[in-house]
Amino acid sequence: MSDAILRLTAVTRVHGTGANEVHALRGISFAAHPGELVAVMGPSGSGKSTLLTIAGGLDQPTAGAVSVEGTDLVGLSPDERARMRRTSIGYVFQGFNLIPALTAAENVALPRELDGIGARQARDEARRALEEVGIGDLADRFPDDMSGGQQQRVAIARAVVGERRLILADEPTGALDTETGEEILRLLRARCDTGAAGVLVTHEARHAAWADRVVFLRDGVVVDETGSSPVELLTEPAAR
Amino acid sequence: MSRPLSSTTRGGWRVALRLARREALRRKAQTALMLVLICLPVLAVTAAAIVWRTQDVSSAESVDRRMGSADALVESAGTTRVAQAFDPEQGSGWFGDERDESLELTDVLEVLGADRAAIPFTRDYLEFRTDKGLGSLETISTDLGDPLADGLVEPVDGAFPPGPGEVVVNQAVVDRGQGIGDTLTVVRQTPDGEQTFDLEIVGIAESAWSTGFEFAAGSPGAFGEGDPLTTSWLVGGGPVAWDQVRALNEIGALATSRAVLTDPPPTSALPPEFAQDDASVDQLTITVLALVVVMVLLQVVLLAGPAFAVRAKAQARALALVVAAGGTPRQARRTVLASGVVIGAAGGILGVVLGIGVAVVGVPIAQSFDTSRFGPFDVPWALLALVAAFGFVSAVMAAVVPAVSASRQDVVAVLSGRRGEGPPSVRSPLLGLVLLGGGIAGAVLGAGASSGAGANDMGAVLIAGSALVSVVGMILVVPVAVTLVARLSSRLPLTLRFAARDAARHRTRTVPAVAAVGATVAGVVALGIAVSSQEAANAATYQSQLPDGYGSLALSPDTDLDAVDEILARSVGADRIIDVEGIQTSSDDSELELEFSQHGEALLLSYWSTLGSPYAVAAEVPDHIDLPTADRERADAVLAAGGLVLLHDERAIDDGIQVPTLDGDQVTVDARRWTYDATGEGELTDLGSVDTPAVVIEMDRAAPSVALMAPPLVRELGLQTSVVGKLVRGPISEEAEDDISEAAAALPAAPYFYVERGYQPDEAVRIIQGVLAALGAILMLGGTLTATFLALSDARPDLATMAAVGARPRTRRGVAAAYALVVGGIGALLGAPVGFIPGMAISQPLTSGVGDASLDVPWLLIGMVVLGLPLLTAAAVGACARGRLPLTARVD
Repeated sequence: MSDAILRLTAVTRVHGTGANEVHALRGISFAAHPGELVAVMGPSGSGKSTLLTIAGGLDQPTAGAVSVEGTDLVGLSPDERARMRRTSIGYVFQGFNLIPALTAAENVALPRELDGIGARQARDEARRALEEVGIGDLADRFPDDMSGGQQQRVAIARAVVGERRLILADEPTGALDTETGEEILRLLRARCDTGAAGVLVTHEARHAAWADRVVFLRDGVVVDETGSSPVELLTEPAAR
Repeated sequence: MSRPLSSTTRGGWRVALRLARREALRRKAQTALMLVLICLPVLAVTAAAIVWRTQDVSSAESVDRRMGSADALVESAGTTRVAQAFDPEQGSGWFGDERDESLELTDVLEVLGADRAAIPFTRDYLEFRTDKGLGSLETISTDLGDPLADGLVEPVDGAFPPGPGEVVVNQAVVDRGQGIGDTLTVVRQTPDGEQTFDLEIVGIAESAWSTGFEFAAGSPGAFGEGDPLTTSWLVGGGPVAWDQVRALNEIGALATSRAVLTDPPPTSALPPEFAQDDASVDQLTITVLALVVVMVLLQVVLLAGPAFAVRAKAQARALALVVAAGGTPRQARRTVLASGVVIGAAGGILGVVLGIGVAVVGVPIAQSFDTSRFGPFDVPWALLALVAAFGFVSAVMAAVVPAVSASRQDVVAVLSGRRGEGPPSVRSPLLGLVLLGGGIAGAVLGAGASSGAGANDMGAVLIAGSALVSVVGMILVVPVAVTLVARLSSRLPLTLRFAARDAARHRTRTVPAVAAVGATVAGVVALGIAVSSQEAANAATYQSQLPDGYGSLALSPDTDLDAVDEILARSVGADRIIDVEGIQTSSDDSELELEFSQHGEALLLSYWSTLGSPYAVAAEVPDHIDLPTADRERADAVLAAGGLVLLHDERAIDDGIQVPTLDGDQVTVDARRWTYDATGEGELTDLGSVDTPAVVIEMDRAAPSVALMAPPLVRELGLQTSVVGKLVRGPISEEAEDDISEAAAALPAAPYFYVERGYQPDEAVRIIQGVLAALGAILMLGGTLTATFLALSDARPDLATMAAVGARPRTRRGVAAAYALVVGGIGALLGAPVGFIPGMAISQPLTSGVGDASLDVPWLLIGMVVLGLPLLTAAAVGACARGRLPLTARVD
């Protein structure tokens, strides 16, 4: 499976030292392939978010290797990791994390502009991305003037703009109602179906149903990894 | 916050103050910033006030240095009756008749009581011989060994007191090359000529009055006697009361009494001539001072405003929860105001304490720059209490706007995490425009009232008031300007666009910072225009006496020319000396008058010259007179024909003198001599009258002579010639100038050496300009920096998001620089035009006294302030800002 877009190999992340030492991840190995949406589940403190920050190059593992599209993130400088986030990795957060001072189109264009391409081209790409997520008509609105669902669509458009092939979504539906949440997941799924790899951190079993594969974390280790069918078992470990 | 706020006001304040104190301790860095902003002006004013009060020697403080240990210093005034204020240096008047014979000590003691001790005392300003010539010297002559003289002079080294034929000098004299064992030659100029006194230097002692200025002290009569009608004595034997001072005045003596100065009688005891001096309160000074205080207060409030706005916003969620839990808007407002109370109280006290500390260090430093000795360390507590109150008030005022917006905040928006502010008010910018209009009107009125006919002091007050009104108007326009820039920013690069939009979204933070920069720029521009215009007016009316860089020494017939040549040759070299042969116009008892006339009408000419005579004698135009070839040929032709060349220069033009165009026309020269007898009566003798060809040459620069006369013409008139002056070709260094002046002072008749350096701006003006520029830069930098770093801490979530989508670490620097550019740029662009209003107005009265009122706009300075400083600040902020982005993936 050398064509995996994201590959974590024996990744360990330790916070603090001595008595304050906390093992967030303990030797996790994990991969996401083109066209694949992987759901990561687990209780609070299981290391789901740490996994995502390490996969996105926002944090560095204490040990182990992380590669995105064949590039080893651990060996890169902060600048080079930032470039990876602009060109290869897209983030979607629970809190949307749009910049309120920028319009929807400008928020989407942000990674492209930060990458140094012309403002006009970046905005054209942003408008296309917004149309893809179904809100092309809201391009010039500011985030404060949009609903939660609309904001999250903008966030997804920002995560995919510029043909990025790895989408990391951290509880993207957490702040949305059920129906809007489903819409968002449908968008993510559609994006993966066109060849991107997606990692979806969630604690809702029904969202995992959109995934091709579910990885279950507990105390920083993968306790189970399966196809999409036996999801119910995973969400209710006590029933096993 | 769970406990409901007390319903009583006092209880409400208690809770609010406790919250504010906790918040201050919790956010230490922010609190430190707020304290610095409030503290610094308090500290600066405190330190300056102490240094000023210490440097300022009051009458009571000056008693010892003026009269040693005596009880009074009594001076004969030369008239039969005088009147004086409590301190004669602050006011005295001469009445009665001129005294025929000098006042004697016995006359004084008759008034004060015969059993008093008294010694003669003289303070004089004389000269002494130096290696190079003559130097100035302050002298005291009295019986320095007498207890009455204790404290006048501080012995440092060698023998003390000096006996007859002996003298003590201070370090400044020693530094000029004369030490213990050497002879000091003191020179006294009298109407009968020069008296010299050779005295042996036996010791070194400093004057209690000054440091650094050359000083010598000797026994009575050591430096000769001055005018015998004005002698003075130090008197002891107990306090001299005000009544006794008045009695001394009646016999023609002024008295400085220790008892009167240290414990002055009520002002009603003053003679009627001096009574109104103390009673009059200078309304103008108070008004201007009040305006200055208000402007400084405004500036401090604006500078500190952003910090309070950010703190209020940090508390916004807590305040929203208070309101949601049933708290009133007033309670929310009070919570934010309490921050101002806590920071203001702490900042005011801290500023005063630190200011006293700075003054302790600053007083000796200030003393080292001043030759007058300072008084005792003087802390003006009442003034400092006012200064501390100023700090307190400024902090509370800085918290007012954030407090009001906190009480009006949209609770739902805050609790749902929306971070922006609503659209700006439409009314306040309209009011701002009205105020700006009022400012312009006031400035125009003020300029009219303070210049031209019927000028009065109200003009200055009007202009200062209009400056204040204009700045307030500008502040009200700032929110709209900030919003407008945000609207126009969509085409700007990302960092600038983000900064502009974010600035507009957080107006309570941005507006005071922009306004602080604007007010500073307005001040700098206004003062810049005022100073430049004044300087331009001074420079325009400056009249040079010689060609640029030249020096001149005016000589009289009895000057030793060899000695002059030697002095000049030593300092500048013999090849640069030009002898000017001229007609001797004046002697001890006569005055020569030359009149040039045409067809019986006298030609009006300038008659100034820095030489001993305005009429030079020459067979051809001398090389040092720079003329175009055509003019030189015309002039030479007339001189060759035995004629006269009149040099018409800018001095004559400035005097409005019209000279007819002469080109070889015949002119009549009449020579007459006024002769004066012993009583000063003059008698006129005609010396002769000659018709001669003349030419008028217009010079575009100063001519060293008014007329050049051919030798045959001079002979025909029977006039005597001599070397009337020496010109020295430039450049002449300041050192050479000092050396020549000092040496020339020692020659008989002490010829005056003048060097033409063109218009020289006053050194004090330059220092003030420098200080203002530095202060402006500091204020602008301070305003921009605080706003920028507060904005950065506010924008943390946005920066984290940028990091998550791939911003480089240096993006934070870019954002920081963009913030600085937005705040500095908008402020400068708004402030500069506002500064023109009072600047142009005040230029009118400042320049109208010296010819036509003129306006000189220092475009370079304004360009630097409006464009240069914001760019520089942005660059500095970009370089100083941390490059690391906050690495928070999940931000709520």
